[in-house]
Parts: sequence; structure tokens; C-alpha cells
Amino acid sequence: MFSESVDVACTPSGQPLRLDWAGRHYTVCAEPVRWYERRQWWTEESRAPLGSGPGLVDHEIWRVQVRADGEDAAEPTLTLDLSRHVSSGRWRLVRIHDALQPHRKPETA
Amino acid sequence: MSFTHLHVSTAFSAHYGVSWPEELAAAAAADGATALACTDRDGLYGTVKHLKACMAAGLDAIVGVDLAVFDDDGDLRTQLGGRVVVLAHGHNNGAGYRALCRLISDAHARTTGKAQGAVPVAVTRAELASRTLDPETLQPVLTVLIGPDSDVGRAMGGRRYLRPRTLFKRWLDAMPPGTLAAEVVSQLSPPGEPLSTAHAVRMLKLAAEHGVPAVLSNAVRYVAEDGAATADVLDSARTLKSLPELSAAPLLQPNGQGWLKSAARMLELAKEIIHAAGYGTADLKRLLAQTEALADRCRMDPVADMGWKQPVVPEASVIGIAGDALAELTLRCEAGIGRRFPGISGQREQQMRTRLKHELRIIDSLGFASYFLTVAEVSRMILAMGVRAAARGSGASSLVNYLIDISQVNPLQHDLIFERFLSRDRATLPDIDIDVESAERHNVYRKIFERFGAERVTLMSMQNGYRARGAVRDAGLALGMDDGEVGEIAKQLWRFSARHFREALVEKPELKEFADRVEQRGFSENQQLDLLVDLTERLDRLPRHISMHPCGVILGDATLLDRTPVQPSGLGLPMSQFDKHDMDPMGMLKLDVLGVRMQSAMAFAVREVIRLHPSKAEVVAAGAHQAGPDGTGPDYIAEDGRIDLNAVPLDDEPTFELIRSTHTLGCFQIESPGQRELIGKMAPREFNDLIIDISLFRPGPMKSDMVRPFLEHRHGFAPEVYPHPDLKPVLKETHGVTVFHEQILKTFDVMTGCGLARADEFRRALGNDVLEAKVEEFFRKEARARNYSPEVVDKVWGTLKAFGSFGFCKAHGAAFAVPTYQSAWLKAHHPEAFLAGLWEHDPGMYPKRLLVAEARRLGIPILPLDINRSQAEYRVERVESGPDRGKLGIRLSLNGIFGLSAAELKRIVAGQPYDSLADLRARSRLSRPSIQRLAQLGAFDTLHRASGGAANRADLVQHLQKLQARPHRKGVEVIEGQLALPLGDMELKNLKAVLPAPSMVDNVRAELDLMAVDVSEHLMTSHRPLLDRLGVTTADKLLGLRNGTEVLVAGVRVATQTPPMRGGRRVVFISVDDGTGCVDSVFFHEAQEQSGSLLFGTRLLLIRGTTRRTGPRGISISASMAWDLSRPETLPFPVAAPGAPAYPGPELPVPLPGPLDGISRNLAITGLGG
Repeated sequence: MFSESVDVACTPSGQPLRLDWAGRHYTVCAEPVRWYERRQWWTEESRAPLGSGPGLVDHEIWRVQVRADGEDAAEPTLTLDLSRHVSSGRWRLVRIHDALQPHRKPETA
Repeated sequence: MSFTHLHVSTAFSAHYGVSWPEELAAAAAADGATALACTDRDGLYGTVKHLKACMAAGLDAIVGVDLAVFDDDGDLRTQLGGRVVVLAHGHNNGAGYRALCRLISDAHARTTGKAQGAVPVAVTRAELASRTLDPETLQPVLTVLIGPDSDVGRAMGGRRYLRPRTLFKRWLDAMPPGTLAAEVVSQLSPPGEPLSTAHAVRMLKLAAEHGVPAVLSNAVRYVAEDGAATADVLDSARTLKSLPELSAAPLLQPNGQGWLKSAARMLELAKEIIHAAGYGTADLKRLLAQTEALADRCRMDPVADMGWKQPVVPEASVIGIAGDALAELTLRCEAGIGRRFPGISGQREQQMRTRLKHELRIIDSLGFASYFLTVAEVSRMILAMGVRAAARGSGASSLVNYLIDISQVNPLQHDLIFERFLSRDRATLPDIDIDVESAERHNVYRKIFERFGAERVTLMSMQNGYRARGAVRDAGLALGMDDGEVGEIAKQLWRFSARHFREALVEKPELKEFADRVEQRGFSENQQLDLLVDLTERLDRLPRHISMHPCGVILGDATLLDRTPVQPSGLGLPMSQFDKHDMDPMGMLKLDVLGVRMQSAMAFAVREVIRLHPSKAEVVAAGAHQAGPDGTGPDYIAEDGRIDLNAVPLDDEPTFELIRSTHTLGCFQIESPGQRELIGKMAPREFNDLIIDISLFRPGPMKSDMVRPFLEHRHGFAPEVYPHPDLKPVLKETHGVTVFHEQILKTFDVMTGCGLARADEFRRALGNDVLEAKVEEFFRKEARARNYSPEVVDKVWGTLKAFGSFGFCKAHGAAFAVPTYQSAWLKAHHPEAFLAGLWEHDPGMYPKRLLVAEARRLGIPILPLDINRSQAEYRVERVESGPDRGKLGIRLSLNGIFGLSAAELKRIVAGQPYDSLADLRARSRLSRPSIQRLAQLGAFDTLHRASGGAANRADLVQHLQKLQARPHRKGVEVIEGQLALPLGDMELKNLKAVLPAPSMVDNVRAELDLMAVDVSEHLMTSHRPLLDRLGVTTADKLLGLRNGTEVLVAGVRVATQTPPMRGGRRVVFISVDDGTGCVDSVFFHEAQEQSGSLLFGTRLLLIRGTTRRTGPRGISISASMAWDLSRPETLPFPVAAPGAPAYPGPELPVPLPGPLDGISRNLAITGLGG
């Protein structure tokens, strides 16, 4: 799975608010959707001892619509799927929804 | 705010739930919940544990079930339309619980009780509807939750707007008003997938549209997130598909969110669902309020609803009494006095009557008289069937039991204490266990059902949990590993808990090879091994399935099936979903009717004796019995030769001589290597010695070194020591060592005056962290008050504390010692009949072939299979010719030949005798492979010789093989009753002698392969030249060696044991049989390291060690190293003199294949188990 690290700032209840990705700042501009997605832990992990805690079988995914800071409100937004690692709290970008961003600039690929 | 989880599977939902009821209840209580549901799949398997856990955690229990429903549109016998949760309403005097039990029994009624049956556990919607109302009041007593796994929930996917509505409407139409609720679940799976918030919203809206209450649940499978991976593995074990396969299907849970979430998180979830539905705060409140309202309706009153701890016994009318149960019991005891104590008078009578009054008073105060009458009725019924029966356990402590024929042990004679069995301070139903002949056990069960009525009787079940081998197999399956590889690993796992797999990898030498592979990182398959270890540990102890308990029968009144759900057992009789731990909480009377093979073997032996010697005089002569009072033999032998085993006096000298010889293979309780060592040391002289011996041979006493001081005092090597003269009467019989529970009770009583009933409560408290301190305080205070010195108090308390928890109940020991003595008596006087009984019923711990070897050692001829003489059972026979002429021999049975069906066996026996192969084929209609196997085993040798043919067994086998290739010809029709003409067997006569006769090794190999027994000669005999070259000492020569002599011994493995040991280090006992007897060897830590995987995997062993003298007649080997005899290249041949050729030099041919070579089918040969 494609993934890269992103920095995310959240609301007190844990909803993503802003993120830094590839040197640009983005702001979440619509209510995000959250779910938990299964992992193929038996191929991705080499250990699964009792007491591993959360995050072995699934990871938390947030689908956010963001707009790069300074962009015009008329510009289409970008839809990203972010995963949050449950125990470390680190965020990674796992999917970019191409179909939803017709004017995407080539250098962001 | 608190939240009540209404849909929770515990670990007792086999292959589904992950967490134990205690964990779930504790977590719910910690989060502030006031109630918790247990809704196991298909039954109430975890319900009683849940009830107990809830009471302990201060929660109200809610009980229900997660049940499949047949699809009304499909085939009503097999097609399912989803699952629903059914909850019982509480506080209605059990109406809800009753309906739940009956509903679950309905769901199982059509199943076969066998694994992989075609009919699933499920109810029809009509059955469900009919159970939801109480038949008397017509009020709803069950609520059915239509949730994500119901037909409605499953139709939520995609864009089908109408389908879920249609299905939901059907439920509304079918169910009485007020019995339905919609179960709203979001496990936050990806949008649009099952268990997503979107689906939850649809269910919520559907409920609102139809005015059905909606409740929130999380369909819990594990107490915390950590359990999700275990749930994945259980899904794999249930569906027999690997995780990659399940994931592709996709059949796995969408994520790992099915855990027991906190009230706060459930509130968040509810808000999320309500928000996504576009609803407002009022709707949020309603959802949560409806959930709690349903929870309140379903809170159980353990006592009024479920009968918590209220003993229920069959109605008096059923056990055939009209009046007061106690009066009847007293009457029957009076009647027993004349029978059990003929001519008793004076002080003895006084004592006996005092004891009887005492027991009856206690029984009366507990209201258990009808219980005793019930057990007596069962006991009477079994004896009337002509089946051997004996009470075991603490029931033998009761004079009442002895007088009404439940028990065969006189408690006064052995000084057994009633309070150990029953006392006023203990209101639980006592256990009475009855041993019956194993071969008759099922008949006894059926008879009990018949006698008491199917509505009052059910079998008890037992939970079978994962142990190491099963766990590693299923973990391997989940990971998609190669079957063979996992099988190899599983074979090496030997009796340790799966939870300690990783520890074991470090410690156990036989796992070293595997551990090394786990260590080698960097290869994907080895990462897989690492995961394998983790998943195996996760599965540890989790229940896999229930099965019929080996002995428990539940007896109740006509309401029994309102109080427990039942399902078919493999036997066809109904079986409760409750196990032994559930009996006492549910007030259920359980009777242990245990099938004991030894009882069958002894009954068989007695029948063989009477068949061979049909008169008293003949039996007396054959068994060398004493002349008896009138010179015609003892009273316990009837005129027709029948021996009344229970009447044999317990002081027969030849019997004790046999026991002291340690040649006790086949004798009940004293045949194991450890027991043979102990009786060798102890040299029992009387019956009480046997009781002590059996009581000492327990993990506790062995572990804590009670045995050595006992033996030293017994043999007078060291003076007996008593902590105080007052205790001498209590401890005298065991020379000052505390062995029995009874002695602990008396010690408490003597030193504190607490009375025996309280003393037994104190004994039970020993070993309990909390209670023991209180007992100690009481003991010290009272003992000091009675002027025992502080030293004495300290010393005695030390003993009580150390031995109290595992001392042995003398009544158990006495009950066990009876069959021990009886079996030794039979072996001493009628060894042929006794061994035939052992072969027939195979009661012991050893493979049957060792008992065949024991016959050989005793010089009893083993008569080969013969198509005209062998029967469906082993038979003792007078040898008619040859060197053994006139001796009694044992004829092999046709039963137990690989591939020979029961029907074929029956036809062979029915058609005997046969005068030719053609005759056999025509009348027994044997399959060709069966005929060929019989030929291989020499069953036609006599026929063949009689025909005068010149060919040998190999020619015959080849001839039969060739026949197989030809097309099938119809057998000659023989009219019933018509005898074939005595032409002799032309087929056999004309057979050409072409092939060399099969060697002895070939014959023995065929016997082992097809019967798991070496008959023609001992399987080690052919290894003798090899062993001689190695310089091996045989078992019969060991006793002549000095202690500490270094020897090599060899043989076929017959027993492997790893008893718990002092200090916790594992010790492995391996016994091998070399044809002259058993060699018992012990492997301590270092020898285990040296021997590695040979410890558990090898059938033929060469062992180096030093002799260890254990007593006047006992010797064993302390091993230092072991080899696999079947790998000659590894063996330690003596170093050849310089210049002489080394092995395999020309003077020593490469050894011929041994009898065990190439046989993988039958592990019963070595007793190594599966």
C-alpha cells in the first residue's frame, strides 16, 4: 500500500483539522468520515502475542476533504484517506482519490 | 451514564467468542455497568459461568442466545436465513428462562449430535414465535433482536431499498406483538460494508418506520481490542479455511471493533449513528433509553428465575415411596443391618447404631433423604441388571450407603469419617460415584432414562478446550501452513499448556530443532513459525466443543428440561449444555456412573472361569483355592463355579505375594511404572497397606516427599515420631505421617475440639489465601488454650498447611483398593482368564501388546488366529497338542483386525466351522482384502495343513491376491442348514509351493500391522543379535545387578510419563519392554538434553544408564542417553579392536528389517498416543 507520513493537527475530540503534506499546508474543509479497516496482519506482522493491544487487526482511517492554504475557495478540494496508528498516534497518507481532483497538479503525484 | 451490552459472546461460544465470562463481567463492572448479557451461540454453554461472574462482580445477569433461524423460503431442513439474538425476560418466576431453555432444545432437536451433521442448529420462525409467549399467561417472555446478522441485516448492503423492508415485515407478521426489537450495531467498518454506520442507520430507520423499539449493541466477541486477532483465528478454525482464504472471500470480521466498549464509547457511537441518520437529541435519548429498558426487563433473578443453588431431586413417587422419605430411608437401613452385620451385638452394635443415628440426623437436617433413596434406586437397578457396580469416592465414608447397598466398603472397619462426605455445614449435594462395567455403561444409561423417564434425566456434558497439539494445528491452518509441517511440530508437543509454548521452546529439548528454526529470522516461513507460536498461545484453553461427559448423569424432577437446554449426544441420548461446574449452582443432582474397563475385564474373567470349569470342585482345583470350611472349597465359589468377587476375603496370601513381586501389569491402580516401584519398596502385607499405597501414589504426596519418611518408619529404619502423644491414635496406621484427609480432620478435632464437621470445613479452607489465615488463627488459639506447647502447635500447623490441600480421602483409597485387590486376586489364581479379560477390555495404561507379552512371560500359550476356533472375543482354551498340551492358553479374537468389519465378523462366527476356503467365502461373504489379511495372519494355517497341501502361507497370500485381480464371481449358493460335502479343501490342496515361507519377522510384522499385537514371538526377539552385539542387558537380569551399575537396555516403548515433580523440573519416565519384562527408566534434565527429539518420537529405544535399586524386588534405570534402535548407524557399538573391521564390517551384515519397520498405522503398539 502506498503510504507516506503526514503531520495532522486535530480537534480536542480527535478529528483532523489541518495537515502538512509535501511542504504545503492544508485545511480540512468538510466533516471527515472515520472507519476502521482490516489489515492483513498475518503477512504484515511477524509477531501477534497476547496483549499486543489495539491496532493489530485494523487501523483507523479518516477520509478528509482538504484545501491547500491560500487556494481559492472555487478550487476543487482534495480527498485524502489518512490512517492513524492507534498506539503511536502517527498519521500516514494511504490513498489519494484521483477521480475527485481533475485539476490535480502533476508535481504532487 | 451506564450502558448495558445486550449481545455478548463468551469463550463458550465455541470457535467464535474469545473472552471468559469473568473477564467480561469484571470489565463491565469496572466501567460502571449494572447488568451484562451473555448470548452465546447455539446454547447456554457459558450462562452459568456468566451468572456466577455477574454475581461476583455485582452485576445483574441477562441471559440469552444467539441462534440461527431457518429460511422460510428455502429448504427448511438445511437452509438458514441469518441469526438473531433471543433474550429471556426476568423476574417472572422463570417463565422467560424456561422458554429460552425449551427454545434452544428445539434448535438442537433435529441435529444428530455427531460432528459435521448435515442439519444445522437452528429454529424455524414459527418455533421462535411460539416460544416467545408464556403458555400460561400468554405474556411475552422473550425478546428477539433483529440485528446485522439477521436476514434483514444481511440484506442491508447495496442499493436494495425494498428487500430489508420485506424481510422485516415478515418478522412483524410472524411474531406476537411486543416480542421484537431492532438491534443497531456499528463496528465502524468502511462505509457501506456490513457493520458500518450506514447499515446501522438503515436498521434504525427501519425500526422507526414500523414503530419497533431499536436498541444499541456492539455484537461483542472479545473484551478488548487485543482479542480481535484471536477471533480471526477462531473464524479460521470454525470454517476450516486459512486467513488468506477467508480474507479474499471476504468472510472475516470487517475489522477488530467487536469488543466490549465502554459506556462513553457506546455513547459516542450512538451520537455518530444518530448524527449520520440526521436525527436529533431526542432520538439519541430514545435509542439509549430503549436499550436500558430492554436490559431492565431482562435482568434475571438468579434464585426465582433460574433456581440458583436449589437442589432438585426426583419426586418421591418416582422412586416408589408414598410416605416420608426419611422414614423410608431409616427402614431400609434397618433392613441392611441384618445383611451387612449378621449377628452383631454388644458394644459393636452400640457403636454401629450410634453412627447410623448420627448419619441419619445429618441427612434429615439437610433434607437429603430422597437423594439417598434415588441413588440407592439407581444402584439397585444396576445390580439387578447383573452388572458389576461399586461406589467410589467419599460416598464410601457413609454407613447409610453401606447399609442400602450403594457402597461395598464398611466405613467402621476402615475408620472412615462421615463428615468427609456430608455435614450440616455443607449444603451442596454430595457426590456419589458408581463404577460399572465399561461395556455395560451405555445400557445402564438407557435403563436410567427408562426408569426415571426422559423428562427427568439427561447426560451431563463437558467442555473440551484447546490443548497444545490442537492449538498448534489450528494456528497452522489459519496461517495456511503446510499440513505435514504443522503435524510434525504438533507431534513434538507433549503435555504442556499451549500458553507456555514460547517458554517451552527454550526449555524442552524435544523442541530444540523447532526452536532453532524460529530463531533463524529473515525467511518468511520462519516469521510464520514465530506467528504460529503466538497464535497457539492465543488459542490455549479456549473451548472447542462440548461432548458427553464420561460419567455424569443428571437426575431431576419433571421440570428438569425447563432448567437446562439439551442437545443430542453422540450416543443418541440427550445431553445437557451444562458441565460439572454448573451442577451445584443450578441445583442439579449429578450421579457419576463411570464405566470402568477393569470391572468389565473382571466380569469377563469370572465368566471365562465358569465356562472352563463349570463346577465348584473344578474351579477350586484350577485356582488352587483353599479347602474352605467343609473341605470343598471356599464359600465365595458357588456350586456352579461362579466366583462372588465381592465376597472374597481381603487377606489372601498368594495375592499379596503376587503384589509384592511387582509383576502387577494389568492390576488396577498398581501397574504403572511408578506404582510398581512404590509397591516394591512398600511390600504390602494387608488390605490397609493397599489403601495407603494408593493414597500415597498421588502427585501431592510424591511431590512433597511424604513417601520416604513413611517407608523408613514402616520398615523400622527410623523411629516413628508423633508431634504429640494425643495424635498417636490418629496417625498410627501411617507411622506418624499424615496421609489421609480423615487424619487431618481428626487432628483438628483432637487439638481444637472443633468437631468433625467444622474440621472438614477447615480442611477445605487450607490452601485458600484468604480463609487459611483464619483457620490458622483459630487453630493456634484453641490449641494453645488446650495447653499444647507452641512447638507442637507450630509443627502440627506446618503439617496441616503443607498436606491439607492434597492429602487423600481414605474413603477414596478404600474404594479403589477393592478392585485393586480383586484384580490381583484374579491374576494370582486365574491368570489365563484374567489376561483374556484384559485383552478383551483393554483397561490399563499400556498398549495391549504388553499384556500379551506378560502372558508370554507367565508361560501362558498364546494361540494363533484360527478361522474355526477364534471367536468375536478372546477365549481361554485347553491346548490339545504340541509341547503345551494340557495347559490353558488364550485364543486370539477375530475382533480388532484391521479392516474386518463388524458385519463380517458376525458372519464368520455365525458360520463356523468351515471346511474349506470356498465354504468360508460362500457363507461368510468376506471381502477379498479381509480374506487376504486373515491368510496373512495365519487364520487358515490349520485348514491348510488339514488339506495336505504342500504350499505355505506366502503362496496362499499370493494366490488370494491373484484371485482379486479376476472379475468377481458369485459365490456358491448354500441353502441354510445344508452341510457342504466333506471333500476337503481342493483349492488349498492344489496350491503350488513356489515362494519361500514368510520369515518370523514377516509374520510378526503382519500381526503388528493388522492387530497391533506381536503374537508369534516378541517383536524384540528378532533384534536379539543386534542387542547382543551392543552388549544389552535384559530386564530379567537387572535385578541381579549391583546398584549403580552402568548398563545398556533396549526395548519397545510401552509408557511415557511426565509426572509433576518436586522443584518443578520435568522428569520423563520411559518404560520399554524387551520380552523378558519391563525396564523402567527415568530421564532427568541432562539426559533429556542428550536425547532430544528421541524422548517422545521413537518406538524402539536403546538406553544407557545406571541401575537404581528401589527395593527388595525393584530396580530401575537412571538414563544418561538414548538412541533410536531402528537407526543402526547411530548406535554405540563397542569400539572394535585395532585392525578389526569397524561396523558395518563384513562379519556383521546390515541388520534385516525389524518387525516394526514400515508400520506407521498403529501407534497403539507403543502407547505413544496420537
